[in-house]
Amino acid sequence: MAGGRFSLDLARPSRQHWLGYILLAPAVLLIAAIIVYPLIVSVDLSFQNVGIARLDQPRRPFTTANYERLFTSPDFWNACWVTLKLIVVVTSACFILGLGTALLVNNRFKGRSVARLLVAMPWAVPEVIAVVIFAWIFDSSFGLMNWVFLSLGLIDKTINWFSDPDAAFAVVATTMIWKGYPFVSIMSLAGLQSIPEDYYAAARVDGASALQRLRYITLPCLMPVIGVTTVLVMLWIFRDFSIIYVLTGGGPLKATQTLSIMTYEQAFSFFRMGYASAIGVVTLVICVIAAKLTMRRAPDNL
Amino acid sequence: MKASIKSVLLGGLASLVLASTALPALSQQKTLKFVSWQKDERGVGDWWASVIKEFEAKNPNVKIEWTKVERGAYADTMTTLFAGGKPPEIVHLASFEFQKFADQGWLEDLSPYVKSSGLNLDGWAGQSACQWKGKPVCVMLLYFGNIFAYNEEMLKKEGISPPKNWAEYIAAARKLTKDTNGDGIPDQFGTGHETKGGGGQYLSELMNYTLDAGGRWTDANGKVTINTPQMVEGLSRWKEVVKNSLTPRDLSAGETRQMFADGRIAMKLDGPWLYPIILRGKAKDQIKIAAPPFNPPLGGSSNILGMASEIPADSKKLVWDFITIATSDKFQSDFATLANSTPPSPRAKTDGAKGATPHFDILVQTAQAASKAGVDRIPKGLEIQYNEFAKMIMEESQRMIIQDLDPKAVAATMQAKAEAIQKQ
Repeated sequence: MAGGRFSLDLARPSRQHWLGYILLAPAVLLIAAIIVYPLIVSVDLSFQNVGIARLDQPRRPFTTANYERLFTSPDFWNACWVTLKLIVVVTSACFILGLGTALLVNNRFKGRSVARLLVAMPWAVPEVIAVVIFAWIFDSSFGLMNWVFLSLGLIDKTINWFSDPDAAFAVVATTMIWKGYPFVSIMSLAGLQSIPEDYYAAARVDGASALQRLRYITLPCLMPVIGVTTVLVMLWIFRDFSIIYVLTGGGPLKATQTLSIMTYEQAFSFFRMGYASAIGVVTLVICVIAAKLTMRRAPDNL
Repeated sequence: MKASIKSVLLGGLASLVLASTALPALSQQKTLKFVSWQKDERGVGDWWASVIKEFEAKNPNVKIEWTKVERGAYADTMTTLFAGGKPPEIVHLASFEFQKFADQGWLEDLSPYVKSSGLNLDGWAGQSACQWKGKPVCVMLLYFGNIFAYNEEMLKKEGISPPKNWAEYIAAARKLTKDTNGDGIPDQFGTGHETKGGGGQYLSELMNYTLDAGGRWTDANGKVTINTPQMVEGLSRWKEVVKNSLTPRDLSAGETRQMFADGRIAMKLDGPWLYPIILRGKAKDQIKIAAPPFNPPLGGSSNILGMASEIPADSKKLVWDFITIATSDKFQSDFATLANSTPPSPRAKTDGAKGATPHFDILVQTAQAASKAGVDRIPKGLEIQYNEFAKMIMEESQRMIIQDLDPKAVAATMQAKAEAIQKQ
């Protein structure tokens, strides 16, 4: 080969890794275009006083006013509190239900396939359809739940599910749990099936009870799966928009206004895209920190 | 053989000639985008379809690409289209949201077109609301007055005459709200309002009561006037209706209208769009329409037609042609018949409308009464901040009902918050 001409001999051992970079390049470029670029734009917008953002407009002067306003806004701290409450309630309930159902359908019994299908079904239902179902169940005037509670004598007058802040939060959390627990169940079931049967056999020989087998074999072996699943469920709650927006719109009295609802409202109802970008950026930072903490701590500590 | 070669050659030549004449025609085919939330609405959707048909017949090389976007996602879809530099050429917006677009310079100043075409907008209902920074940026498509619809059979059963004022109305609403099947859950309601959903609709529902009590959000100069005895009275009335569940709770406007049409709600205050829903309901034969028992009735501008400013000059000319058709005497007259609503044009012939809409005179009467009293759903001086203002009013009203607050204190809070929003 002529010395001055460029050549790329990917067969040479020292250049074999180049092939990997070349194959990855289209995906990396695509991700950069659809994720990184909007992210950069969003961060940039968060430092400008922008009403409706347009990419062809000249950049506005740099300002930290959006962040100053955000951190002094009671609405922002309320949205953080609501998001945190939802994360704790929904994640905990999803794990209890998800793990419980996974342990159940991991046993051998007649109709196991149907049971597995039923457990996974809510996951397959589109969010908007799930919301419509739950909106009807919890309808204040004609809903099923009020009728059931009244029939059972649990209440003496109807509950206005979407006019009461606590009730509205309960409705949103219930819908999210119903929609979210099958994911935990499926992941846990996959994890349970990867635990060697020998462990349980050995434990039985040693006289370990069912509870002890769960505590000392099942849960430790599931920890890697639980760690990843926790992060994914948490991120889903952080970013979920449609369930809350369709059910309550963030109300009443901002009782269900999470950070994602607040971002949408500021951007598209009040047309404050600079401020909305600041909320989005802060949400992203919180998500990254929470994910990092969960991934690092969960498998070791539990 | 020779003949067949000749025929093939001739055929090929003919195809080439056809292609060469057809291609320029195809290339001249122009498309104008028109986005609307009213596409599938019975009545007004038919009217839009007739305008489009007429435009396409007059401009055979131009096609209108008519797309429906749901009302709930409308503002953000339109914002995204405009911000992305791909706005629809023909702009259809609600009258409470166009100001944001006009403020960005996205709506064309229509004064040169109005002047050159000689379109007479004198006496055009609600047109003054289309002025933005002194220039007309749109044409008002509807200025309406609320009607009062009631289920005659339900009222007769209770021995109630149609109410003529607030006192009669609230007494009737109390008497008509009941549990008819004895399961402990009220299933018949005196009246119906949206109490769940967006701030704009909530504000409109509430205004039925505040206007009758003499309250206004702002005065003619745009000064906030919520902390007044009249507004306190209006808020007290709203609290009485909602807190006592004389209206079904937590329903959207569409659900409430359907319940009324099906005979689960006895009385309903609403715009002209209620009538097509009544016609599809189970209780359509029991429902009567009258003027509202409140004075002045709620009314105001509804939606506008405009032109995107950042489009080529030839497209602007075509859009104006579209607007000219929509605002023509013929199509304004058709608006009354097809859309069952009062057309904004003073030249529209509405005689034929009474056949399709028996209560048409009431529509005209209430629209005029609302207009005469200077009523609009969008408070003067808060046009740009309307969404935020409406959300604040909704939240403070909800707080009043949930926490059982004194309307006087609520009015004071609303006043302070509205002033803060206005100063932003």
